[in-house]
Amino acid sequence: MHKNNSNIQFTSSKIEDLMFKTTFDPNTGKGDVIVNVSFIDEKSRDEVFNIFKMVLTSGLSVTPYVKILNQGDLIGETVIEKGKIGIATVCSITIDGVLLKAGIPIKPKLGGIVQIRDGKPVRFTDVLTYASTTIDPLEVLMSQKLTSITHVIRTSNGNILANLREGPMAARDDIEHILSDLVDVGFSGILEVSEPNTSILDVPVERDHLGIVVIGGTNPMAAVQESGISIHTNAMSTLIDISELIHIDEVA
Amino acid sequence: MTNPQIERKLIEIMRVITEGDKPIGARNIADELNERGYGIGERAVRYHLRILDERGLTKKHGYAGRTVTELGKKELKEALIGDRLGFVITRIEDLIYKTDYNLESKSGNVIVNLSNIDKNDFDDVVEIMRYASKGGAIISPRVRIFEEDEDSDIYVPKGKIAIATVCSITFDGLLLKSGIPVKPAYGGILELKDHEPTRFTDLISYNGTSIDPIKIFMSRHSTSVLDVLETGTGKMLANMRQIPASAVEKANEVLELAKLSGINGAIKIGNEGEALFGAPVDAGRSGIPVLVGVNAIAAVEETGIEVNTYPVSTVMEYSTMSEI
Repeated sequence: MHKNNSNIQFTSSKIEDLMFKTTFDPNTGKGDVIVNVSFIDEKSRDEVFNIFKMVLTSGLSVTPYVKILNQGDLIGETVIEKGKIGIATVCSITIDGVLLKAGIPIKPKLGGIVQIRDGKPVRFTDVLTYASTTIDPLEVLMSQKLTSITHVIRTSNGNILANLREGPMAARDDIEHILSDLVDVGFSGILEVSEPNTSILDVPVERDHLGIVVIGGTNPMAAVQESGISIHTNAMSTLIDISELIHIDEVA
Repeated sequence: MTNPQIERKLIEIMRVITEGDKPIGARNIADELNERGYGIGERAVRYHLRILDERGLTKKHGYAGRTVTELGKKELKEALIGDRLGFVITRIEDLIYKTDYNLESKSGNVIVNLSNIDKNDFDDVVEIMRYASKGGAIISPRVRIFEEDEDSDIYVPKGKIAIATVCSITFDGLLLKSGIPVKPAYGGILELKDHEPTRFTDLISYNGTSIDPIKIFMSRHSTSVLDVLETGTGKMLANMRQIPASAVEKANEVLELAKLSGINGAIKIGNEGEALFGAPVDAGRSGIPVLVGVNAIAAVEETGIEVNTYPVSTVMEYSTMSEI
Protein backbone atom coordinates (compact mmCIF):
# COMPACT_ATOMS: atom_id res chain seq x y z
CA MET A 1 0.00 0.00 0.00
CA HIS A 2 2.69 2.48 0.95
CA LYS A 3 5.86 3.06 -1.02
CA ASN A 4 9.10 1.96 0.53
CA ASN A 5 10.56 5.35 1.34
CA SER A 6 7.42 7.16 2.42
CA ASN A 7 6.20 7.33 5.99
CA ILE A 8 3.61 4.86 7.14
CA GLN A 9 -0.02 6.04 7.02
CA PHE A 10 -1.91 6.27 10.28
CA THR A 11 -5.64 5.53 10.42
CA SER A 12 -6.51 9.20 10.98
CA SER A 13 -5.14 10.19 7.58
CA LYS A 14 -6.74 7.21 5.86
CA ILE A 15 -10.07 8.27 7.37
CA GLU A 16 -9.74 11.84 6.07
CA ASP A 17 -9.12 10.45 2.63
CA LEU A 18 -12.33 8.39 2.76
CA MET A 19 -14.36 11.23 4.27
CA PHE A 20 -13.29 13.46 1.41
CA LYS A 21 -14.46 10.84 -1.12
CA THR A 22 -17.89 10.38 0.53
CA THR A 23 -20.68 11.77 -1.68
CA PHE A 24 -23.76 10.33 0.04
CA ASP A 25 -26.47 12.95 0.58
CA PRO A 26 -29.10 12.07 3.21
CA ASN A 27 -31.64 14.39 1.53
CA THR A 28 -31.62 12.59 -1.81
CA GLY A 29 -30.57 9.22 -0.38
CA LYS A 30 -28.02 8.95 -3.19
CA GLY A 31 -24.25 8.83 -3.43
CA ASP A 32 -21.23 6.83 -2.28
CA VAL A 33 -20.83 5.47 1.22
CA ILE A 34 -17.77 3.98 2.97
CA VAL A 35 -17.98 0.23 3.56
CA ASN A 36 -16.27 -2.45 5.62
CA VAL A 37 -15.76 -5.63 3.64
CA SER A 38 -15.54 -9.12 5.14
CA PHE A 39 -14.67 -12.41 3.55
CA ILE A 40 -16.03 -15.78 4.63
CA ASP A 41 -15.95 -19.35 3.34
CA GLU A 42 -18.89 -20.19 1.11
CA LYS A 43 -19.71 -23.19 3.30
CA SER A 44 -20.36 -21.03 6.37
CA ARG A 45 -22.72 -18.84 4.35
CA ASP A 46 -26.01 -19.77 6.06
CA GLU A 47 -24.65 -19.49 9.57
CA VAL A 48 -22.97 -16.14 8.88
CA PHE A 49 -26.05 -14.69 7.15
CA ASN A 50 -28.16 -15.66 10.16
CA ILE A 51 -25.80 -13.89 12.53
CA PHE A 52 -25.74 -10.81 10.28
CA LYS A 53 -29.54 -10.79 10.22
CA MET A 54 -29.72 -11.06 13.98
CA VAL A 55 -27.18 -8.28 14.60
CA LEU A 56 -28.45 -5.90 11.91
CA THR A 57 -32.10 -6.23 12.83
CA SER A 58 -31.30 -5.54 16.48
CA GLY A 59 -29.70 -2.27 15.41
CA LEU A 60 -26.11 -3.06 16.37
CA SER A 61 -24.69 -1.65 13.16
CA VAL A 62 -24.63 1.66 11.31
CA THR A 63 -27.43 0.73 8.88
CA PRO A 64 -29.32 -2.50 8.12
CA TYR A 65 -27.98 -2.49 4.54
CA VAL A 66 -25.47 -4.91 3.05
CA LYS A 67 -24.01 -5.97 -0.25
CA ILE A 68 -23.29 -9.63 -0.87
CA LEU A 69 -20.41 -10.37 -3.23
CA ASN A 70 -19.89 -13.68 -4.95
CA GLN A 71 -16.90 -15.30 -6.56
CA GLY A 72 -15.42 -13.08 -9.26
CA ASP A 73 -17.16 -9.89 -8.08
CA LEU A 74 -14.98 -6.83 -7.72
CA ILE A 75 -15.04 -4.49 -4.73
CA GLY A 76 -12.52 -1.67 -4.55
CA GLU A 77 -9.41 -3.39 -5.84
CA THR A 78 -10.30 -6.84 -4.52
CA VAL A 79 -11.77 -9.70 -6.53
CA ILE A 80 -13.69 -12.31 -4.52
CA GLU A 81 -11.75 -15.57 -4.61
CA LYS A 82 -13.14 -18.99 -5.44
CA GLY A 83 -15.03 -20.55 -2.54
CA LYS A 84 -15.38 -17.20 -0.76
CA ILE A 85 -18.19 -14.75 -0.20
CA GLY A 86 -17.77 -11.05 0.51
CA ILE A 87 -20.11 -8.99 2.68
CA ALA A 88 -20.02 -5.20 2.69
CA THR A 89 -21.61 -3.17 5.51
CA VAL A 90 -21.76 0.60 5.88
CA CYS A 91 -18.86 2.01 7.88
CA SER A 92 -19.63 4.59 10.56
CA ILE A 93 -17.05 6.97 9.09
CA THR A 94 -19.67 7.62 6.36
CA ILE A 95 -21.40 9.82 8.96
CA ASP A 96 -18.20 11.85 9.33
CA GLY A 97 -18.04 12.16 5.56
CA VAL A 98 -21.61 13.46 5.40
CA LEU A 99 -20.96 15.98 8.19
CA LEU A 100 -17.77 17.12 6.47
CA LYS A 101 -19.60 17.66 3.17
CA ALA A 102 -22.08 19.87 5.06
CA GLY A 103 -19.15 22.09 5.98
CA ILE A 104 -18.72 20.89 9.55
CA PRO A 105 -15.11 20.36 10.69
CA ILE A 106 -15.66 16.95 12.24
CA LYS A 107 -12.82 15.08 13.92
CA PRO A 108 -13.00 11.28 14.22
CA LYS A 109 -11.17 10.60 17.46
CA LEU A 110 -11.12 7.01 18.59
CA GLY A 111 -12.63 3.56 18.40
CA GLY A 112 -13.37 1.52 21.47
CA ILE A 113 -15.38 -0.99 23.43
CA VAL A 114 -18.62 0.37 24.88
CA GLN A 115 -20.20 -1.40 27.80
CA ILE A 116 -23.98 -1.84 27.52
CA ARG A 117 -26.06 -2.32 30.65
CA ASP A 118 -29.82 -2.87 30.47
CA GLY A 119 -29.78 -1.79 26.84
CA LYS A 120 -28.09 1.53 27.57
CA PRO A 121 -24.50 2.56 26.82
CA VAL A 122 -22.59 3.04 30.09
CA ARG A 123 -18.98 3.84 29.19
CA PHE A 124 -15.96 3.11 27.03
CA THR A 125 -13.82 0.44 28.69
CA ASP A 126 -10.97 0.26 26.15
CA VAL A 127 -10.01 2.67 23.39
CA LEU A 128 -7.46 3.39 20.66
CA THR A 129 -7.17 6.79 19.03
CA TYR A 130 -7.11 6.94 15.22
CA ALA A 131 -3.98 9.09 15.27
CA SER A 132 -2.03 6.46 17.18
CA THR A 133 -2.54 3.40 15.02
CA THR A 134 -2.08 2.20 11.46
CA ILE A 135 -4.66 -0.59 11.94
CA ASP A 136 -8.31 0.34 12.41
CA PRO A 137 -9.00 0.46 16.19
CA LEU A 138 -12.11 -1.69 15.84
CA GLU A 139 -10.14 -4.34 13.93
CA VAL A 140 -7.59 -4.27 16.75
CA LEU A 141 -10.25 -4.59 19.44
CA MET A 142 -11.99 -7.41 17.56
CA SER A 143 -8.74 -9.37 17.79
CA GLN A 144 -8.57 -8.85 21.56
CA LYS A 145 -11.75 -10.89 22.11
CA LEU A 146 -13.31 -8.13 24.22
CA THR A 147 -16.73 -8.02 22.55
CA SER A 148 -19.90 -9.88 23.53
CA ILE A 149 -22.32 -8.83 20.77
CA THR A 150 -24.48 -11.95 20.91
CA HIS A 151 -24.79 -11.56 24.64
CA VAL A 152 -25.94 -7.95 24.22
CA ILE A 153 -28.62 -9.05 21.76
CA ARG A 154 -29.88 -11.76 24.09
CA THR A 155 -29.66 -10.00 27.47
CA SER A 156 -29.13 -6.26 26.73
CA ASN A 157 -25.85 -6.49 28.64
CA GLY A 158 -22.31 -6.77 27.32
CA ASN A 159 -19.68 -5.08 25.17
CA ILE A 160 -19.97 -3.68 21.64
CA LEU A 161 -17.71 -1.82 19.23
CA ALA A 162 -18.30 1.91 18.79
CA ASN A 163 -16.42 5.02 17.84
CA LEU A 164 -16.24 8.65 18.80
CA ARG A 165 -15.88 11.89 16.88
CA GLU A 166 -15.90 15.52 17.99
CA GLY A 167 -17.56 18.49 16.39
CA PRO A 168 -17.48 22.18 17.32
CA MET A 169 -20.18 23.39 19.70
CA ALA A 170 -20.95 26.25 17.27
CA ALA A 171 -22.16 23.70 14.69
CA ARG A 172 -24.47 21.94 17.13
CA ASP A 173 -27.75 22.74 15.35
CA ASP A 174 -26.40 21.70 11.95
CA ILE A 175 -24.98 18.50 13.43
CA GLU A 176 -28.30 17.62 15.04
CA HIS A 177 -30.23 18.27 11.81
CA ILE A 178 -27.92 16.16 9.72
CA LEU A 179 -27.92 13.32 12.25
CA SER A 180 -31.71 13.29 12.26
CA ASP A 181 -31.74 13.30 8.42
CA LEU A 182 -29.40 10.32 8.57
CA VAL A 183 -31.66 8.50 11.02
CA ASP A 184 -34.55 9.05 8.55
CA VAL A 185 -32.66 7.25 5.77
CA GLY A 186 -31.81 4.26 7.94
CA PHE A 187 -28.63 5.27 9.76
CA SER A 188 -29.89 3.88 13.04
CA GLY A 189 -26.48 3.43 14.66
CA ILE A 190 -26.11 6.82 16.34
CA LEU A 191 -25.68 5.84 19.97
CA GLU A 192 -25.14 9.05 21.89
CA VAL A 193 -24.56 12.78 21.38
CA SER A 194 -23.08 14.67 24.32
CA GLU A 195 -23.65 18.14 25.66
CA PRO A 196 -20.76 20.48 24.80
CA ASN A 197 -17.82 20.38 27.24
CA THR A 198 -19.12 17.21 28.84
CA SER A 199 -17.48 13.79 28.85
CA ILE A 200 -19.20 11.26 26.66
CA LEU A 201 -19.31 7.69 27.97
CA ASP A 202 -16.41 8.62 30.30
CA VAL A 203 -14.21 10.04 27.52
CA PRO A 204 -13.46 13.76 27.87
CA VAL A 205 -14.04 15.96 24.79
CA GLU A 206 -12.05 19.01 23.73
CA ARG A 207 -13.09 22.40 24.99
CA ASP A 208 -16.17 23.79 23.21
CA HIS A 209 -16.73 20.55 21.35
CA LEU A 210 -19.39 17.90 21.60
CA GLY A 211 -18.94 14.20 21.20
CA ILE A 212 -20.89 11.80 18.96
CA VAL A 213 -20.72 8.05 19.52
CA VAL A 214 -21.75 5.77 16.66
CA ILE A 215 -22.09 1.98 16.73
CA GLY A 216 -19.27 0.37 14.75
CA GLY A 217 -20.09 -1.13 11.35
CA THR A 218 -17.98 -4.16 12.24
CA ASN A 219 -20.20 -5.42 15.10
CA PRO A 220 -21.81 -8.13 12.91
CA MET A 221 -18.32 -9.34 11.99
CA ALA A 222 -17.35 -9.41 15.67
CA ALA A 223 -20.47 -11.47 16.41
CA VAL A 224 -19.49 -13.97 13.71
CA GLN A 225 -16.02 -14.20 15.22
CA GLU A 226 -17.49 -14.75 18.70
CA SER A 227 -19.33 -17.81 17.41
CA GLY A 228 -16.02 -19.31 16.27
CA ILE A 229 -16.54 -18.93 12.52
CA SER A 230 -13.54 -17.70 10.57
CA ILE A 231 -14.08 -14.25 9.05
CA HIS A 232 -11.56 -11.84 7.61
CA THR A 233 -12.47 -8.16 7.84
CA ASN A 234 -11.08 -5.09 6.12
CA ALA A 235 -12.58 -2.14 7.95
CA MET A 236 -12.92 1.11 5.99
CA SER A 237 -12.08 -0.63 2.72
CA THR A 238 -13.56 1.42 -0.05
CA LEU A 239 -16.60 3.40 -1.20
CA ILE A 240 -19.61 2.12 -3.11
CA ASP A 241 -22.87 3.60 -4.35
CA ILE A 242 -25.55 3.14 -1.68
CA SER A 243 -27.99 1.93 -4.37
CA GLU A 244 -25.91 -1.25 -4.62
CA LEU A 245 -26.80 -2.14 -1.03
CA ILE A 246 -29.94 -4.04 -0.02
CA HIS A 247 -31.77 -4.43 3.27
CA ILE A 248 -30.60 -7.50 5.21
CA ASP A 249 -34.20 -8.85 5.16
CA GLU A 250 -34.01 -9.08 1.37
CA VAL A 251 -30.95 -11.32 1.49
CA ALA A 252 -31.97 -14.82 0.48
CA MET B 1 -23.63 7.11 37.24
CA THR B 2 -23.38 9.72 39.97
CA ASN B 3 -21.24 12.82 40.32
CA PRO B 4 -17.95 12.37 38.43
CA GLN B 5 -15.93 13.84 41.29
CA ILE B 6 -17.30 11.26 43.71
CA GLU B 7 -16.65 8.50 41.15
CA ARG B 8 -13.05 9.63 40.86
CA LYS B 9 -12.55 9.50 44.63
CA LEU B 10 -14.17 6.07 44.82
CA ILE B 11 -11.76 4.78 42.20
CA GLU B 12 -8.74 6.36 43.92
CA ILE B 13 -9.76 4.77 47.22
CA MET B 14 -10.03 1.36 45.55
CA ARG B 15 -6.63 1.87 43.93
CA VAL B 16 -5.08 2.60 47.33
CA ILE B 17 -6.69 -0.51 48.84
CA THR B 18 -5.54 -2.83 46.03
CA GLU B 19 -1.96 -1.59 46.25
CA GLY B 20 -1.47 -3.15 49.68
CA ASP B 21 -1.50 -6.91 50.23
CA LYS B 22 -3.66 -6.80 53.37
CA PRO B 23 -6.78 -4.96 54.51
CA ILE B 24 -6.32 -1.23 55.07
CA GLY B 25 -8.27 1.16 57.31
CA ALA B 26 -9.87 4.52 56.56
CA ARG B 27 -7.18 6.47 58.35
CA ASN B 28 -4.32 4.99 56.32
CA ILE B 29 -6.33 5.42 53.13
CA ALA B 30 -6.81 9.12 53.94
CA ASP B 31 -3.07 9.55 54.56
CA GLU B 32 -2.20 7.87 51.27
CA LEU B 33 -4.75 9.98 49.36
CA ASN B 34 -3.28 13.15 50.81
CA GLU B 35 0.15 12.02 49.59
CA ARG B 36 -1.35 11.85 46.12
CA GLY B 37 -2.76 15.32 46.22
CA TYR B 38 -6.35 14.47 47.12
CA GLY B 39 -7.29 16.63 50.06
CA ILE B 40 -9.76 14.29 51.75
CA GLY B 41 -10.20 13.58 55.45
CA GLU B 42 -10.75 10.32 57.30
CA ARG B 43 -14.44 11.10 57.77
CA ALA B 44 -14.98 11.65 54.06
CA VAL B 45 -13.08 8.44 53.33
CA ARG B 46 -15.47 6.54 55.62
CA TYR B 47 -18.41 8.06 53.75
CA HIS B 48 -17.00 6.94 50.41
CA LEU B 49 -16.14 3.49 51.78
CA ARG B 50 -19.78 3.01 52.75
CA ILE B 51 -20.80 3.73 49.14
CA LEU B 52 -18.21 1.22 47.94
CA ASP B 53 -19.48 -1.40 50.41
CA GLU B 54 -23.07 -0.82 49.30
CA ARG B 55 -22.08 -1.34 45.67
CA GLY B 56 -20.28 -4.54 46.61
CA LEU B 57 -16.94 -3.15 45.45
CA THR B 58 -15.17 -3.35 48.83
CA LYS B 59 -15.52 -5.62 51.83
CA LYS B 60 -15.01 -4.84 55.50
CA HIS B 61 -12.90 -7.15 57.68
CA GLY B 62 -13.74 -5.96 61.19
CA TYR B 63 -11.22 -3.45 62.52
CA ALA B 64 -8.47 -4.56 60.12
CA GLY B 65 -9.95 -2.48 57.33
CA ARG B 66 -11.15 -3.17 53.83
CA THR B 67 -10.21 -5.15 50.78
CA VAL B 68 -11.46 -4.80 47.21
CA THR B 69 -13.85 -7.51 46.01
CA GLU B 70 -13.64 -9.31 42.63
CA LEU B 71 -16.39 -6.96 41.40
CA GLY B 72 -14.32 -4.02 42.59
CA LYS B 73 -11.25 -5.27 40.72
CA LYS B 74 -13.33 -5.55 37.57
CA GLU B 75 -14.63 -2.03 38.09
CA LEU B 76 -11.07 -0.73 38.48
CA LYS B 77 -10.16 -2.31 35.16
CA GLU B 78 -13.07 -0.76 33.30
CA ALA B 79 -13.72 2.60 34.88
CA LEU B 80 -12.47 6.07 33.96
CA ILE B 81 -11.22 5.39 30.46
CA GLY B 82 -10.32 9.09 30.17
CA ASP B 83 -7.53 8.48 32.69
CA ARG B 84 -6.51 5.15 31.31
CA LEU B 85 -5.99 6.47 27.81
CA GLY B 86 -2.56 7.42 29.08
CA PHE B 87 -2.39 4.25 31.13
CA VAL B 88 -0.04 2.18 28.99
CA ILE B 89 2.51 4.98 28.76
CA THR B 90 2.13 5.91 32.44
CA ARG B 91 2.77 2.36 33.56
CA ILE B 92 5.75 2.08 31.24
CA GLU B 93 7.21 5.31 32.63
CA ASP B 94 6.79 3.90 36.10
CA LEU B 95 8.86 0.84 35.19
CA ILE B 96 11.45 2.92 33.31
CA TYR B 97 11.92 4.88 36.52
CA LYS B 98 12.34 1.67 38.52
CA THR B 99 15.01 0.30 36.17
CA ASP B 100 18.28 0.68 38.05
CA TYR B 101 20.57 -1.80 36.34
CA ASN B 102 24.12 -0.49 36.52
CA LEU B 103 26.07 -1.23 33.35
CA GLU B 104 29.42 -0.91 35.18
CA SER B 105 28.74 -3.02 38.27
CA LYS B 106 26.34 -5.27 36.32
CA SER B 107 23.71 -5.37 39.04
CA GLY B 108 20.23 -3.98 39.51
CA ASN B 109 16.77 -4.25 37.98
CA VAL B 110 15.80 -4.71 34.37
CA ILE B 111 12.24 -4.70 32.95
CA VAL B 112 10.78 -8.08 32.03
CA ASN B 113 7.87 -9.53 30.07
CA LEU B 114 6.05 -12.45 31.65
CA SER B 115 4.67 -15.32 29.59
CA ASN B 116 2.53 -18.14 30.97
CA ILE B 117 2.76 -21.51 29.29
CA ASP B 118 1.34 -24.93 30.00
CA LYS B 119 3.64 -27.15 32.10
CA ASN B 120 3.49 -29.89 29.47
CA ASP B 121 4.82 -27.56 26.77
CA PHE B 122 7.83 -26.51 28.82
CA ASP B 123 10.51 -28.60 27.08
CA ASP B 124 9.33 -27.59 23.61
CA VAL B 125 9.14 -23.94 24.61
CA VAL B 126 12.69 -23.92 25.98
CA GLU B 127 13.98 -25.54 22.82
CA ILE B 128 12.31 -22.95 20.54
CA MET B 129 13.45 -20.10 22.76
CA ARG B 130 17.05 -21.37 22.64
CA TYR B 131 16.82 -21.47 18.87
CA ALA B 132 15.32 -17.96 18.77
CA SER B 133 17.94 -16.71 21.19
CA LYS B 134 20.79 -18.02 18.99
CA GLY B 135 19.21 -16.25 16.04
CA GLY B 136 19.10 -12.97 17.97
CA ALA B 137 15.32 -12.80 18.37
CA ILE B 138 15.63 -11.88 22.04
CA ILE B 139 16.93 -8.90 24.02
CA SER B 140 19.03 -10.99 26.39
CA PRO B 141 19.61 -14.75 26.56
CA ARG B 142 18.83 -14.55 30.26
CA VAL B 143 15.42 -15.73 31.46
CA ARG B 144 13.85 -16.74 34.73
CA ILE B 145 11.40 -19.57 35.26
CA PHE B 146 8.65 -19.50 37.88
CA GLU B 147 6.69 -22.54 38.92
CA GLU B 148 3.26 -22.68 40.41
CA ASP B 149 4.09 -23.28 44.08
CA GLU B 150 7.15 -21.09 44.27
CA ASP B 151 7.15 -18.42 46.92
CA SER B 152 7.62 -15.25 44.89
CA ASP B 153 5.88 -12.06 43.83
CA ILE B 154 5.02 -13.57 40.47
CA TYR B 155 1.59 -15.17 40.31
CA VAL B 156 1.58 -18.40 38.34
CA PRO B 157 -1.83 -19.93 37.48
CA LYS B 158 -2.38 -23.61 38.23
CA GLY B 159 -0.77 -26.01 35.77
CA LYS B 160 1.32 -23.22 34.24
CA ILE B 161 4.90 -22.08 34.20
CA ALA B 162 5.82 -18.41 33.90
CA ILE B 163 8.86 -17.32 31.91
CA ALA B 164 10.38 -13.88 32.37
CA THR B 165 12.28 -12.44 29.39
CA VAL B 166 14.11 -9.13 29.30
CA CYS B 167 11.86 -6.43 27.84
CA SER B 168 13.07 -3.92 25.26
CA ILE B 169 11.80 -1.06 27.43
CA THR B 170 14.85 -1.85 29.60
CA PHE B 171 16.76 0.24 27.03
CA ASP B 172 14.56 3.21 27.88
CA GLY B 173 15.37 2.68 31.56
CA LEU B 174 19.11 2.50 30.85
CA LEU B 175 18.96 5.64 28.70
CA LEU B 176 16.97 7.55 31.32
CA LYS B 177 19.38 6.59 34.08
CA SER B 178 22.20 7.93 31.90
CA GLY B 179 20.45 11.28 31.95
CA ILE B 180 18.83 11.03 28.52
CA PRO B 181 15.16 12.10 28.32
CA VAL B 182 13.69 9.19 26.42
CA LYS B 183 10.15 8.87 25.00
CA PRO B 184 8.81 5.43 24.02
CA ALA B 185 6.97 6.16 20.76
CA TYR B 186 5.57 3.15 18.91
CA GLY B 187 5.26 -0.60 18.95
CA GLY B 188 4.98 -2.22 15.55
CA ILE B 189 5.64 -4.95 13.04
CA LEU B 190 9.00 -4.63 11.32
CA GLU B 191 9.57 -6.39 8.03
CA LEU B 192 13.03 -7.88 7.38
CA LYS B 193 14.57 -8.91 4.06
CA ASP B 194 17.82 -10.88 3.99
CA HIS B 195 18.38 -10.12 7.69
CA GLU B 196 18.02 -6.37 7.07
CA PRO B 197 15.02 -4.42 8.45
CA THR B 198 13.17 -2.76 5.57
CA ARG B 199 10.02 -1.09 6.90
CA PHE B 200 7.34 -1.07 9.55
CA THR B 201 4.13 -2.52 8.14
CA ASP B 202 2.03 -1.40 11.11
CA LEU B 203 2.51 0.88 14.10
CA ILE B 204 0.57 1.69 17.27
CA SER B 205 1.65 4.61 19.44
CA TYR B 206 2.17 3.98 23.17
CA ASN B 207 0.34 7.24 23.71
CA GLY B 208 -3.12 6.64 22.30
CA THR B 209 -4.11 3.21 23.52
CA SER B 210 -5.42 1.55 26.66
CA ILE B 211 -3.95 -1.83 25.57
CA ASP B 212 -0.21 -2.46 25.16
CA PRO B 213 0.70 -2.25 21.43
CA ILE B 214 2.97 -5.31 21.53
CA LYS B 215 0.22 -7.34 23.21
CA ILE B 216 -2.13 -6.27 20.40
CA PHE B 217 0.28 -7.38 17.67
CA MET B 218 0.94 -10.68 19.43
CA SER B 219 -2.72 -11.59 19.67
CA ARG B 220 -3.21 -10.69 16.00
CA HIS B 221 -0.59 -13.34 15.14
CA SER B 222 1.06 -10.93 12.76
CA THR B 223 4.67 -12.12 13.11
CA SER B 224 6.76 -14.65 11.20
CA VAL B 225 9.77 -14.82 13.50
CA LEU B 226 10.51 -18.44 12.55
CA ASP B 227 10.79 -17.40 8.89
CA VAL B 228 13.23 -14.67 9.84
CA LEU B 229 15.31 -17.17 11.80
CA GLU B 230 15.35 -19.62 8.92
CA THR B 231 15.62 -17.38 5.86
CA GLY B 232 16.34 -13.87 7.11
CA THR B 233 13.04 -12.65 5.65
CA GLY B 234 9.79 -12.14 7.56
CA LYS B 235 8.10 -10.01 10.20
CA MET B 236 9.21 -9.33 13.76
CA LEU B 237 7.93 -7.22 16.64
CA ALA B 238 9.83 -4.00 17.22
CA ASN B 239 9.36 -0.75 19.04
CA MET B 240 10.80 2.69 18.76
CA ARG B 241 11.76 5.42 21.18
CA GLN B 242 12.93 8.98 20.56
CA ILE B 243 15.80 10.84 22.21
CA PRO B 244 17.08 14.40 21.70
CA ALA B 245 19.48 14.44 18.75
CA SER B 246 22.14 15.99 21.00
CA ALA B 247 22.14 12.83 23.14
CA VAL B 248 22.99 10.44 20.30
CA GLU B 249 26.66 10.05 21.25
CA LYS B 250 25.84 9.30 24.87
CA ALA B 251 23.12 6.87 23.80
CA ASN B 252 25.63 5.06 21.59
CA GLU B 253 27.91 4.56 24.60
CA VAL B 254 25.00 3.18 26.64
CA LEU B 255 24.01 0.72 23.89
CA GLU B 256 27.64 -0.47 23.52
CA LEU B 257 27.99 -0.95 27.27
CA ALA B 258 24.68 -2.84 27.41
CA LYS B 259 26.04 -5.37 24.93
CA LEU B 260 28.73 -6.30 27.49
CA SER B 261 25.88 -7.33 29.81
CA GLY B 262 24.35 -9.40 27.05
CA ILE B 263 21.56 -6.85 26.41
CA ASN B 264 21.11 -6.48 22.64
CA GLY B 265 18.46 -5.69 20.07
CA ALA B 266 18.85 -2.02 19.19
CA ILE B 267 18.99 -1.83 15.39
CA LYS B 268 20.51 1.62 15.05
CA ILE B 269 20.23 5.22 16.15
CA GLY B 270 18.72 7.43 13.47
CA ASN B 271 19.83 10.87 12.39
CA GLU B 272 18.09 14.00 13.61
CA GLY B 273 14.47 14.01 12.47
CA GLU B 274 15.07 10.99 10.21
CA ALA B 275 12.07 8.71 9.74
CA LEU B 276 13.15 5.12 10.34
CA PHE B 277 11.65 2.29 8.30
CA GLY B 278 8.60 4.48 7.67
CA ALA B 279 8.09 5.48 11.32
CA PRO B 280 8.03 9.26 11.74
CA VAL B 281 10.48 10.98 14.13
CA ASP B 282 10.03 14.51 15.57
CA ALA B 283 12.29 17.33 14.41
CA GLY B 284 15.31 17.64 16.69
CA ARG B 285 15.01 14.06 17.89
CA SER B 286 16.49 10.72 16.86
CA GLY B 287 14.72 7.39 16.76
CA ILE B 288 16.04 4.12 18.19
CA PRO B 289 14.21 1.04 16.89
CA VAL B 290 14.66 -2.15 18.94
CA LEU B 291 13.65 -5.73 18.14
CA VAL B 292 11.67 -6.63 21.24
CA GLY B 293 12.28 -9.44 23.73
CA VAL B 294 8.99 -11.25 23.15
CA ASN B 295 9.97 -12.16 19.58
CA ALA B 296 11.25 -15.41 21.07
CA ILE B 297 7.81 -15.96 22.57
CA ALA B 298 6.12 -15.01 19.29
CA ALA B 299 8.23 -17.75 17.68
CA VAL B 300 6.86 -20.21 20.24
CA GLU B 301 3.29 -19.13 19.42
CA GLU B 302 3.94 -19.56 15.70
CA THR B 303 4.52 -23.29 16.30
CA GLY B 304 0.98 -23.52 17.66
CA ILE B 305 1.83 -23.64 21.36
CA GLU B 306 -0.49 -21.49 23.42
CA VAL B 307 1.16 -18.68 25.38
CA ASN B 308 -0.31 -15.85 27.39
CA THR B 309 2.06 -12.89 27.45
CA TYR B 310 2.12 -9.73 29.54
CA PRO B 311 4.61 -7.35 27.94
CA VAL B 312 6.38 -4.75 30.11
CA SER B 313 5.26 -6.58 33.20
CA THR B 314 7.54 -5.73 36.12
CA VAL B 315 11.16 -5.13 37.13
CA MET B 316 13.49 -7.94 38.15
CA GLU B 317 17.08 -8.21 39.41
CA TYR B 318 19.09 -9.14 36.31
CA SER B 319 21.48 -11.35 38.28
CA THR B 320 18.60 -13.64 39.32
CA MET B 321 18.03 -14.49 35.64
CA SER B 322 20.12 -17.15 33.90
CA GLU B 323 20.98 -18.08 30.34
CA ILE B 324 18.45 -20.24 28.60
